[in-house]
Amino acid sequence: MCTMYCPRPVVDAYNERLEITRAPHIDYAQAIPSSYYIDAKACLRVNFETCNLCAQTCTAGAIDFSQKPKNLELEVGAVVLTPGFGRVDSSVLEKFGYGKYPDVLTAFEFERLTCASGPTEGHIVRPSDNRPPRKIAFLQCIGSRDETCGNGYCSSVCCMYAIKEASVAKEHEPDLDVSIFFMDVRTQGKGFDDARKRAQEKYGINVIRARVPRVDQVDGRLALTWTTDDGKHHSGIFDMVVLSVGLESPEDAEALSKIADIKLNNYNFCSTRVDSPLSTSRDGVFVAGAFQGPKDIPESVTQASGVAAIASELLAEARNSQTVSITYPEENKALEEQEPRIGIFVCHCGVNIAGVVDVKAVRDYAASLPGVVLYEDPLYSCSQDALKGIAEKIRDNNLNRVVIAACSPRTHEPLFQETLRSVGLNPALVEMANIRDQCAWVHAQEPEAATEKAKDLVRMAAAKARLLTPLEQPTVDVTPGALVLGGGAAGMSAALSIADQGYSVTIVEKSRHLGGNLRRLQWTTDGQDARKVMEDMISSVESHPGIEVLTGSTVEAISGYVGNFTSTVSQGKKNRLINHGVTVIATGAREYKPRSYAYGESTRIVTQLELEEKLARGKSFLKNARNIVMIQCVGSRGDDMSHCSRLCCTQAVKNALKLKELKPDCRIYILYRDMRTYGFHEDAYREAREKGVIFLRYSTDKKPQVIKQARGIKVRAFDRLLGEEIEIPANLVVLSAGIAPGDNQELSKILKAPLTPEGFFLEAHAKLRPVEIAVDGVYLCGLAHGPKSLEESVAQAKAAAAKATIPLAKGKVAVAPIVSHVDQDACIGCGICESLCPFNAIRLSKVGKRKKAQTITASCKGCGICASHCPTIAISMGGFTDQAIMAQIHAFSGRQCDEG
Amino acid sequence: MAKENAVTKENEMTQEGFDPKILGFFCHWCCYAAADSAGVSRYQYPPNVRVIRVMCTGRIDARFVIEAFRCGADGVFTGG
Amino acid sequence: MAKSGAIMVLGGGVAGVQAALDLADLGYYVYIVEKKASIGGVMAQLDKTFPTNDCAL
Repeated sequence: MCTMYCPRPVVDAYNERLEITRAPHIDYAQAIPSSYYIDAKACLRVNFETCNLCAQTCTAGAIDFSQKPKNLELEVGAVVLTPGFGRVDSSVLEKFGYGKYPDVLTAFEFERLTCASGPTEGHIVRPSDNRPPRKIAFLQCIGSRDETCGNGYCSSVCCMYAIKEASVAKEHEPDLDVSIFFMDVRTQGKGFDDARKRAQEKYGINVIRARVPRVDQVDGRLALTWTTDDGKHHSGIFDMVVLSVGLESPEDAEALSKIADIKLNNYNFCSTRVDSPLSTSRDGVFVAGAFQGPKDIPESVTQASGVAAIASELLAEARNSQTVSITYPEENKALEEQEPRIGIFVCHCGVNIAGVVDVKAVRDYAASLPGVVLYEDPLYSCSQDALKGIAEKIRDNNLNRVVIAACSPRTHEPLFQETLRSVGLNPALVEMANIRDQCAWVHAQEPEAATEKAKDLVRMAAAKARLLTPLEQPTVDVTPGALVLGGGAAGMSAALSIADQGYSVTIVEKSRHLGGNLRRLQWTTDGQDARKVMEDMISSVESHPGIEVLTGSTVEAISGYVGNFTSTVSQGKKNRLINHGVTVIATGAREYKPRSYAYGESTRIVTQLELEEKLARGKSFLKNARNIVMIQCVGSRGDDMSHCSRLCCTQAVKNALKLKELKPDCRIYILYRDMRTYGFHEDAYREAREKGVIFLRYSTDKKPQVIKQARGIKVRAFDRLLGEEIEIPANLVVLSAGIAPGDNQELSKILKAPLTPEGFFLEAHAKLRPVEIAVDGVYLCGLAHGPKSLEESVAQAKAAAAKATIPLAKGKVAVAPIVSHVDQDACIGCGICESLCPFNAIRLSKVGKRKKAQTITASCKGCGICASHCPTIAISMGGFTDQAIMAQIHAFSGRQCDEG
Repeated sequence: MAKENAVTKENEMTQEGFDPKILGFFCHWCCYAAADSAGVSRYQYPPNVRVIRVMCTGRIDARFVIEAFRCGADGVFTGG
Repeated sequence: MAKSGAIMVLGGGVAGVQAALDLADLGYYVYIVEKKASIGGVMAQLDKTFPTNDCAL
């Protein structure tokens, strides 16, 4: 109402200036908190003391102009900085016609255009004439990798989002012609290279390797000129240009650094070290997300969990000192035992359900079902307001069974169970009918049939609801210790964090020493002595009273479940059993062993890690070195393994700079496909070019050749600028061998942990659950998850430590109350259930003179095989009783079906 | 099932406009989850199935299937 | 001085919200301080394939 009456238009920032809203508004329908607010900068009442229309029209009386800004003083033990990133200044964008030509958009704006909830409901149109464009160009590296605007770094995310937006655009308009102008295609994230390849093949997106210097307008269209790396000039006309703008440090970074007293780096991002990426220069102040350096969602989420672990290490002694626990009213057992009084809520889910299903008709139909005393149709039944309303209605109408006809119980049942608990009802007394995911969404063209189906589903749910009974919520105690598999940088970081948070840790390391791949690294990308970093880490681990290290050991078997695992660890000849509450996989990976480029034929053809080891022993081997050639993507990106190994480009540049420092007169060639020196590593790439390192790009159809001759080595490569093959007599060839997964098959079987096609462990959700896996209580970090830098491994290890510590800190895990229950009187002790149970969760034991089956609640997953095979029907399943399922079957038939 | 009823059913099945009533028992972890993601992806399919969610197809007792047919189901779909 | 069991998270984007959730699960009281009227940050503006309700508290 307030938005409707407000006379003051403001630009809608949520929709990236593409739409107008009013001073009082809500950013988007699902915003949290879910209330409207007033843009104080635009409001007439706030600025000029006029107007007041909104306060008068608000029926809830929720607008109060007498409120004043308040200063709060909070006492906290730690501060976490997650201010995100800032936007590239518009003066940079103006060079590309932004602001001057309406059809030049930023990628943020284009994202809103492709979005169904955006200003055009997902239709891609040119702002100048509202007509669909035919040719779109994406320009990469706008405000990134560009020293003229002060941003020398790479923003790390733009290549991927440009490909995503281009794919979405092609999906909406298949005839669209889309070109993306890259300098390098930097899709180094896990699985990203595959997604890029698929997008290129499926949608036919043109990849052009060039930097477009400017944008001009010709006859209402946009003209671009560019030069490719073979020296040729090109030009083209486009209908729309999308600027892939980079991520800058937040606008108020300097002010924040003063307030928080922390150091910034030369680009005004928070300054951190490779071995402690989440700590600022001030104790107790931590950082995560894009403020630490430009990064994508999975990495931000990983760092965020990691920062939680670090803050928790610092404040472990104060754990639970200030938390408040939710108290629930006592269960109203008398009400639960009464005749069913059912309340049915048929959700609109905005237009998701109501756009297809006639919600009001379903609601009215529900009224006719036996036992129903209340029937309503909330707009969004999962919104905060609606939940409160449902709770009140349960109380006011003395409901003792609830049916929610909405989306899937898989995602939303816990929410409604919580609502029941809040008013003193057992959470097992709610039943959901899935009329969205399995009805409205899949029968969009048949509204009448969908409405009939929704009625049937509601009838079946109500029939089951009548027979629901309260269930006890069992919990299991957690063994307060962790087992960490792998003693490399990730394993040690995770172990230290869990131990510092107050729980015992056992590290199981296959080799005889801690350190993993870190043992071979000589210096870090920020110039630290890698061996010192490793030695510090090892000594912290070995001196920690809470950590036990088992070297030369492997895990043979793991049984149990979250909270109570038992592992068999083999130490040579003897085996040991270890009980632990959680498991962390940090088993690492290894450097790929090249099979091409004459590797193994000469001591002067080495991998990057071998080069580092050689350099650590002295530089004498460089005495006569005039030409050194490095070859990228050895083994990676389809050479032998399909994935990009992410860190070889940075490692090559790091080592090239080191060689230049040790022997300034040597010529270094780096033969590459895309230089993926993402983030601040771009600085080293630029420095290498400035110091004369020669970068030559090769394509897969013209790969370089390494030829071992009687005297010396020859490298043949194609020079794109000259357009011909060149021959380099090399004194040393360094192969940037990728990261190959470890032998994960065995462990994958033991843990039932799935692997990716490349052989790395698969996380539970690529974006939002990057360190958890499909098995509860098992967490993942380091190279076992995929190629990553030391800095990223440490952050991820901290994240895994945070997730692993959560069940340890809670001390109990809840078991879903859907377990089996054996009626001891009816059980004849036949043992069929015991032999069938896949979880060893039901056992025969002597009760009196006879054997009877009993459920081991903590192990039971509620599958019900025992119940369906019990010859005397002695076993019932919580929430899925025979009676309830039979009632659903009878309700399915619609007509009265005699129960005979 | 009454004989008369069975005859009608047979007639229905030979007609083109046969609109069967199918009862589905879907496993919570796989088939039910898959049916949800079919929804998220907006796959369209005929609206003839009514779903009973179970925690595992192992829960399905032969009596449930027989009862479904006795109550007039034209087909029973178990997905797990 | 006894350590405080409360933590301030400055910024309510995806990183801030995730940090706050994990800290609360680990047994700490969390204050999220956000400039804007709602949490979720830039991720909430992204296309629906990354549903915003995954960011909800």
